[in-house]
Order: sequence, then C-alpha cells, then structure tokens
Amino acid sequence: MGNAMAKRKRSANRPAAGVAAAGLLLAAAAAWPPASRAEYPPKGDFARGARLWVLNCGRCHEARDPKELRDDQWITTLYHMRVRGGLTGQDVRDLYTFMERSN
Amino acid sequence: MPRQAMQRRLPALVAAAGLAALSAVPAAGAASESALRSELEALKQRIKELERKLEARRQNERQTEEKLAELEKEVASAAEWKSPNTLIHMAGYADVGYTDARGASGTFDSVRFNPIVHYQYRDLVMLESELELKVTEDGETETGLEYLTIDLFLNDYVAIVAGKFLSPVGWFRQNIHPSWINRLPSAPAGFGHDQAAPNADVGLQVRGGFPAFGGFNRVTYAVYVGNGPTLEADGGEIEMIETPGLGSDTDGEKVVGGRLGVFLAQRRLELGVSGATGKVSVTKNAGASVSDGARGYRVLGADFTWRPWRLDLRGEYIRQEVDDLASSAYATEGGTWRAWYLQAAYRFRPTPWEVVARYADYDTPHDSKDLTQWALGVNYVFAANIVAKLAYEFNDNPNSGVAPSIDDRMLAQVAYGF
Repeated sequence: MGNAMAKRKRSANRPAAGVAAAGLLLAAAAAWPPASRAEYPPKGDFARGARLWVLNCGRCHEARDPKELRDDQWITTLYHMRVRGGLTGQDVRDLYTFMERSN
Repeated sequence: MPRQAMQRRLPALVAAAGLAALSAVPAAGAASESALRSELEALKQRIKELERKLEARRQNERQTEEKLAELEKEVASAAEWKSPNTLIHMAGYADVGYTDARGASGTFDSVRFNPIVHYQYRDLVMLESELELKVTEDGETETGLEYLTIDLFLNDYVAIVAGKFLSPVGWFRQNIHPSWINRLPSAPAGFGHDQAAPNADVGLQVRGGFPAFGGFNRVTYAVYVGNGPTLEADGGEIEMIETPGLGSDTDGEKVVGGRLGVFLAQRRLELGVSGATGKVSVTKNAGASVSDGARGYRVLGADFTWRPWRLDLRGEYIRQEVDDLASSAYATEGGTWRAWYLQAAYRFRPTPWEVVARYADYDTPHDSKDLTQWALGVNYVFAANIVAKLAYEFNDNPNSGVAPSIDDRMLAQVAYGF
C-alpha cells in the first residue's frame, strides 16, 4: 500500500521535472545561436583582459603564462574556465585578446 | 634581359646582319665573301644561343609559377588550421607519488593520468570530458569517467551544462582537487571520494556569472538537477553516501542544488554558499544490490578564498545529511557527514619555493572514520602548472581510544597540469 502510494507520488513528480527540463531546453533553443559572427571569439579589450588574468586565475591556481599555449588552444581553455569559474562571455573575449597578443 | 625585349630585338639583329653583309659586297668583293659568311654564321650561332637562353628562362618561369601555386595552397591550409569552426584541445593533469606511513614500508603508490578533451564548436557549444586512469595496488589500470558534459553558451551570462558533471556544491571538489592545483599531495580529510563532500552528479545544470558591485567584481552561480547520490548500508547502519554520478535514478527522486558565489576582485576575496536537497535511498547492503524506500537528503556548504599579499588562504565547510527512515529494511537511522578545512600557502617569490599548512576535521556517524588532520608541506614550483610537493600529515581520531583510519604519513608527489 505504502509502496503503491510512493510510486504514485514519484510518477506525479516525473512530469514536473520533465516539463522543467523541457522548458529549459526550449528556452535554450529559442535563444540559440546568440548571434551570427564571422569570427569567434570577437575581439575584446586587451587592458581589461590583462587585469582579469591577474585577478582571476589565482582564485584556484597560479596564472599560466600566455606563451604556454597557441591561440586556438587558449580559446578552448578559456571557455572551459568560463564554465568552471563563472566568467562572463565578455571576460572570455577580453582574456582571449590579451592571451592572443601576449603569446 | 626581359623576354619581350629580347623578342623585339631578334629581328633587328638579323636585319642588321643582312644589311652589313650586302653593303660589304661591292667594296670587298669575292675575297671578303668568306668573311661575311663567317660573320653571318657567328650571328646565327648567337641567335641560337639567345633562343636557348630564352627557352631556359621560360622553363624557370614555369617552375616558379608551379612553386608559387604550391605555396598558395600551403598558406590557405595554414589559415584553415587557425580558424576552423571546431576546435579540438587536449588538457588535463598527471601525477606520480610516494607514501611512507608510520608502521608501514614506503611505497610508490600513485601513478595517475587524467586527460581532458575539449571539442568546441565556435563560441556556442563545448564538449568537455575528463578520464581518470590510475595504477592500482595489484598493477591493474583503473579507469573512470570523471565528467562528460555538453555545454551550451546561451548568452554572456548563462551556460547550460548537461551530462555527468563535478558537483557544483562546494569549491574543493569541483575546482581545487586536480593535483597540479591542490597545494598538498592529498585532499583534506572529508573531501575525498565518497566522504562528506559530494563528488559528481548526472543531470542538467545552469551556471555562469555576471558583473556586480562595480569594477571587476562578479556574482557566480550554479543551479542543477540530478539523479542524486545513493546510500550504502552494512550491519543496520548507513556506511556512506556515494556520489560517483549515477547513470540511473533508482528511487525516482531527483536532487536539486547549487552554489552562489561573490568574487570581490580588488580585495581578492571570494565567498560562496552551497546547498542541495532531495531524496536518496539505500541501493547496496553489505555489498549486495537492494531496493529500499526514499529518505530525505540535504547538503549545506560554505567556502572562501582570500589572497592578501603573497598569501593564499582558503577554507570550506560541508555537511551532508540523510534522514531516518523507520520503514527501511536496511538502516532505519540516518546520519550526518561533516567536514571542514583551513589552508594557508605562501610562495617566496621570486624563488620557486612555497610552504603550505592545512588543518582538516572530518566527522561521521562512525567513530572509526572520524579524523582530525594537520598537513605541512613544502613545494618546488617549476612552472605554474608543474610542482613537486613534499608533505607530512599528522592524523588523529578525536574519539578517545579509537585508532585513526589513516596513520601519520609522509607524502611526496610531482604533478603536471597540461
């Protein structure tokens, strides 16, 4: 009896979770792609990127030398760090501009 | 001499030679005829020589044009490599280590390789995945999928992350645990796999950051829904909360949670609070797979990072709790797993030397697993991503008369992030 009730309750929860997930994905689909751009990432602000490099990397680890990686490797590394460290898209563009010109 | 110029001059030369020959006839007569003929022959030879040179020049020009076409192809190929729509990058870390515990012989006990692969489609989508490969005590190679997510960058402030991800609850497990980042060779007590801090989950996550409070300050956030953890019971008690990132949800109950952080850039201070709630159930009893009722589950955490001057100070508190369940066939009592740590590191710049001290406390429903831990270490930093560490851990069980689950030990490790 108890198990049957629990099952009914779980069944009732599933559509709600499904609707939430579907809503999230629909919102994503509606807003994606954000913009059509010939080049990616678009150019950012070199000076701001330099400052972000000094302030942000040390939140977890020592700042890595821009010369350690090629430009294309910095793109993937910075987008990885965007997810890990809660950087904004503009932060990534500024950091990339700094890395690109410093390596 | 340019080819066209030479071509223009050839007829003129031939005409001049003919005229010279004709004008010489009346004056010189038959005697000079042979001289004229030989002069004509010499001119013919010269013309032939010029024709040979012209042909050689044409040949050179053809070869130059072919080489130029090849170079143009190579340049185009290099440009493609620089800006394709899909980027592929391998990152990750690896470490090797040695442990010498009190009462045991020293052993090379750590060989670990964690490659991380990034596939990125422009600035819109990224697939990222980390594997863990390590050598076990019996010489086998253990493999695991640490995480695999497809990240959709919705706009500048929102990324949707789907798949198996490191738990966004807390800071150490999601960001500090890689060996090239962690300033000590071991995780703080309670922050290892299946201890007080959640490790991973499978589900959907929304995360990002946005500017706040001016300057470079930022608020960061992560919200997720996942299958949640599972419980392992033995002897009528819950032994541990397992958070490997389950590929199924046996109790049909999801866990929701997240982290909210504030990063005050100029002060080099970051504060975060985390939490999660949901239901979990016992799925293993004494090693056997079982089915049990769902019970309440909660996580609460707080963390900070502060980097004044050359100091690196960080700390974290985490608490996982499961409720009692009177109807459970395997463990009616729940329990609380709680851990915290404080760590200070100082780098003697510009030298490569660094010293570290950490205190950690781990409290569980099982006295035998409780631990207090001091760790002191000295590091040699070859580069930002390469470090050699030497540390000593003092491990104690705070419950009187109960031996610690880990003896005091010396740890050495070389870690390489790439």
